[in-house]
Amino acid sequence: MHVVEIIVSPLLALIIGIFFLGLSRKIMARIHWRYGPPITQPVIDVIRLFSQKAFSHGMMFNLGIILSLAGSFVLILFLPMGNICPLSNSGGMLVILYVMLLAPLGIALSGGEAANPNVSIGISRKLIIALGYEVPLLLVLLTIMTRYHTISIVEIVRIQQNTTWALLDLPLLLSGIAYILILPAILGVRPFEIVQAPQEISSGPMAEYGGPFLALATIQHALSLFIGIALFVNLFLGGAGNPFTFFLKMLVVFILVLFINAALPRLRVEQAVKYLWRWPTLISLAGMIIILIIRR
Amino acid sequence: MSLDLLLIVAFSGALLTYVFGKISSKMRNAFGVVVSLALVVMVALLYGQTEEKIFYFGFLNLPLILRTNMLAWFFAISVSALGLLCIVFSLSYMKGRERGDFYYLMMLLINGAMLGIVFSGDLVSFFIFWEVMSWSTFLLISYNRGKALFAGMKYIIMSILGSVAMLIGMLSLYATYDTLNIVTLSTLISSASSGYLLFLSIIFCIAFAIKNAVMPLHTWLPEAYAEAPSPFTAVLSGMLTRMGMYGFLLIMYVMVGAARVLNLGPGLFKFNYILAWLGAVTIVIPTFIAMLQNDAKMLLAWHGIGQGGYMVLGIAFGTSLGVAGGIFHTLNHAIYIVLLFLSVAAVQYRTHGERDLNSLGGLIKKMPIAFIGGLLGISGLIGVPLTNGFASKWLIYKTLILEGSPFLAFAALIGTWGTILSVFKFLHNMFLGQLPEKYQDVKKSPFSMQLPIIILSFAILLFGILPGIPLKVINAIGVSFGFESLNVTFWGIASDTGALNTINIFAAVLVGCLVVALLFKIGPKATPIAQDDNYAAGAPVPKDKYHYTVDFYNPLYRMITPYLKDFIDAFYMKLAGWTQSLSNGVRRIYTGYVGHYVMYIVLFLASLIFIQLKWSPW
Amino acid sequence: MDRNQLTKWLKTPVKMGHKYSLHAVYFCTGCGIIEVPPVITARWDAERFGVIPVATPRQANLFLITGYVSVKTLKAIIRTYEQMPEPKFTVGFGSCPVNGGMYWDSYNTIKHLDKYIPVDGWIAGCMPRPEAIFVAVVHLWTLIDKDMADGYKRYRKDYKAYRANQEQLFGTLEWPPLFPIGESK
Repeated sequence: MHVVEIIVSPLLALIIGIFFLGLSRKIMARIHWRYGPPITQPVIDVIRLFSQKAFSHGMMFNLGIILSLAGSFVLILFLPMGNICPLSNSGGMLVILYVMLLAPLGIALSGGEAANPNVSIGISRKLIIALGYEVPLLLVLLTIMTRYHTISIVEIVRIQQNTTWALLDLPLLLSGIAYILILPAILGVRPFEIVQAPQEISSGPMAEYGGPFLALATIQHALSLFIGIALFVNLFLGGAGNPFTFFLKMLVVFILVLFINAALPRLRVEQAVKYLWRWPTLISLAGMIIILIIRR
Repeated sequence: MSLDLLLIVAFSGALLTYVFGKISSKMRNAFGVVVSLALVVMVALLYGQTEEKIFYFGFLNLPLILRTNMLAWFFAISVSALGLLCIVFSLSYMKGRERGDFYYLMMLLINGAMLGIVFSGDLVSFFIFWEVMSWSTFLLISYNRGKALFAGMKYIIMSILGSVAMLIGMLSLYATYDTLNIVTLSTLISSASSGYLLFLSIIFCIAFAIKNAVMPLHTWLPEAYAEAPSPFTAVLSGMLTRMGMYGFLLIMYVMVGAARVLNLGPGLFKFNYILAWLGAVTIVIPTFIAMLQNDAKMLLAWHGIGQGGYMVLGIAFGTSLGVAGGIFHTLNHAIYIVLLFLSVAAVQYRTHGERDLNSLGGLIKKMPIAFIGGLLGISGLIGVPLTNGFASKWLIYKTLILEGSPFLAFAALIGTWGTILSVFKFLHNMFLGQLPEKYQDVKKSPFSMQLPIIILSFAILLFGILPGIPLKVINAIGVSFGFESLNVTFWGIASDTGALNTINIFAAVLVGCLVVALLFKIGPKATPIAQDDNYAAGAPVPKDKYHYTVDFYNPLYRMITPYLKDFIDAFYMKLAGWTQSLSNGVRRIYTGYVGHYVMYIVLFLASLIFIQLKWSPW
Repeated sequence: MDRNQLTKWLKTPVKMGHKYSLHAVYFCTGCGIIEVPPVITARWDAERFGVIPVATPRQANLFLITGYVSVKTLKAIIRTYEQMPEPKFTVGFGSCPVNGGMYWDSYNTIKHLDKYIPVDGWIAGCMPRPEAIFVAVVHLWTLIDKDMADGYKRYRKDYKAYRANQEQLFGTLEWPPLFPIGESK
């Protein structure tokens, strides 16, 4: 049973992630009053990319992207999807927070060997924006962990299934609002689509990726979308009892995020960080103080 | 296997190395390595033994006691093993440098002094070895002359202030209890008043906080690390600064005892809370200052201060997980910071001493082993899962979250993110990016430099995947302090409020990498290309100019630099300046003119007569 | 458009992949680039055919040479073309790459692009309308189906001749040959 879960859960995440990528292009197109590509377009892109004979800058260039995608796949194993969660008892939220580092680290290392300053600037922007959203995100996560007195995400989902969604739990409302405010930054959609920025830094870390490298990077992007939304649904929207409700909740959140993506332009890095360190941080700080007062 | 033999081997080995150096440098190198190796073996043989040796020298009726227990063994094995690796590294690094005999003498002397500190059973021998360590560190920091002299001076003055504080504490203890034997004191002290215990804790902890570089007593550290010769900086940051940690553990948990030390202090301002908050501040601020540094060794030095904050936070927090996390972090930090400084030293060796991050780059193809050392070192420093840094930080985070201190947990977690930014800049500016023209002919490191790097990288992964190996020892230490035992298994910690299972994570990452590598093989094999066949919008890639290193986090710097001015250092320098001008003024009493001296004597006698006439005290 | 035919996908996935995922390098070579933004935006939506612009040649498989090719731009075009991964397709857009077009007697433009890089198809016009780009894309699909869009294979096979043409124009080139061409240059 366990082995089946370990195989099924990354596959499900991959399918849903790719579906989300295709759905995003279709919905954006429809918002722009045009037809848009078919929803299976990312699959076509990946097939085409795997057939191209790319160029490699060295050993680390190859290994970095493999490490990045492997990190994303491993992270899926720790996230509960409905009632599928293979590695639930191996460290909890802290492991999730830190395995989330493997993906950008892998891309940063492989891009670094590409020796292109566009890549380096893209990575520096990625790290700066990550520092930006980590401040309110850590406050929100600590608030939840203190409120439910556990560090295990499966436990948090279970408590929400038994009581109510954390977003509807009045003391946690401010933290929920703060998380919604930083969700576009975590997912890397506009107005925080700063890392890719094709017009500014020639797609940042992916500037020297071709062929299979870009295919793996696309899959990694799909998985990071999945992980970002799945984390939010698990922590604030109660997870779910079965995968179908879980994916439905993820779909609703994703479509709302897409609407914000369609409407807003891109911020500069320091504007983004100033925003992230101002209102979401203050709101999440207020949320944490409320929880501490209640616990006394 | 006895302790005095160990110390005799350590110190005489140091002196003999110097003597052999006068004969031949090869003999000196070989003998230095043999002595360090012998020390490691002897310490390893002491595992699990608790013995005590008492020596009477007739000095003030105070016996000098050497004893070993689990805590002492833990620190001793780290000191001797890391010392051995640094000496092996120095074989190539110091080749052809001047005053090599002096360097090896000092390295081995410091090694022996640190072993003496951890094995001493009474405060007098502790103080003696502490002082030996302090002045030999000063001598070795100033090895390079120039700026290093100033850095060494800053270090020794602050260290002496700490030693004076420790001496005051020792005198007070001797006056009250008439003994300085640590074991006897720990039983006698438990009946003392809370105020006296608070005074003792504070006065001793000032000394140890100066040595361990807890804010605001940290200002000696960055320049001392940056100007010292690099293999010695590795020893300095790995073990020497952590002698302060040993001191904290000695005072807080061996002498005063866990039961009393966690209740000292009035109401909300408990002693260990204040110490934990100082640790938290020490985590956050130096990590962000590290991001602004452009010198590789200064960057790592500020991280040394920051990681010391984790250790202080862990042990000051006072739970069994916290103390275990703090002690474990001491070991892990030693391993990866030594590895990082050795990587920097390897690069310096080949690039003729270049430390400026703005002018290095692209050395990954030329020095792959140094790169792997740097990569694993920064992974440990960040705390990526499967490295040892993650295991110890996980313990600290878990206890902070579950005991309801989310602000301290937040400080610890945001410290990690600051670390990620600054060490990625470190790795990128040294090894990734475009290779400058002047380093096209850089060769790989020699084998005696590669060996310590490989061993330490392996240790990082080993302790990350199987943290149970050191945790068993640390658990024994925690139990000896009176904390409850942790449920330590080979691969992590089992518990009902969230377990840590690193074997699962390791297996998952391994399988994940294999699967993705197979997926990667679906596509056609990629053609290898040169580094300058790069996207530059159709233009030729400019040599030496297609590299992004300066102001790596420019948008962030503009935001945070105004808040990170070093007030504390400026304050200390002002204090030093006033002291200097005061001394300058006082020295003018000695004019060299005998008439003035006669006048001083006459005035002094006149004032004595006046006092006698007016108030007749005598 | 046979994008929905699953059997074709299973038989020749590589060809179908290249047909319906033509990513063009967003390199504005000449005046013809003015016709490309209308093509990729909402009015004449190229994304429904799978055609989007990408930032770097490493990520692309289609190169649109839009407008006249001056001598200076040709160097950048050759470098960009060589940086693209194979299989790759080139389309000459406008009359100038075909035979010099309006600048047929200029000292500074290239009259026959085909001598320097291989071109798979041409779109005549000055400027062609956006619909012409779609006609060209559909035609390119037919060529890919029939294995006739083999510009990159020709480049590899005849590299000696292409390199000789490039060197005749520029003198010595700053970049090394992409494929080994034997002893004589």
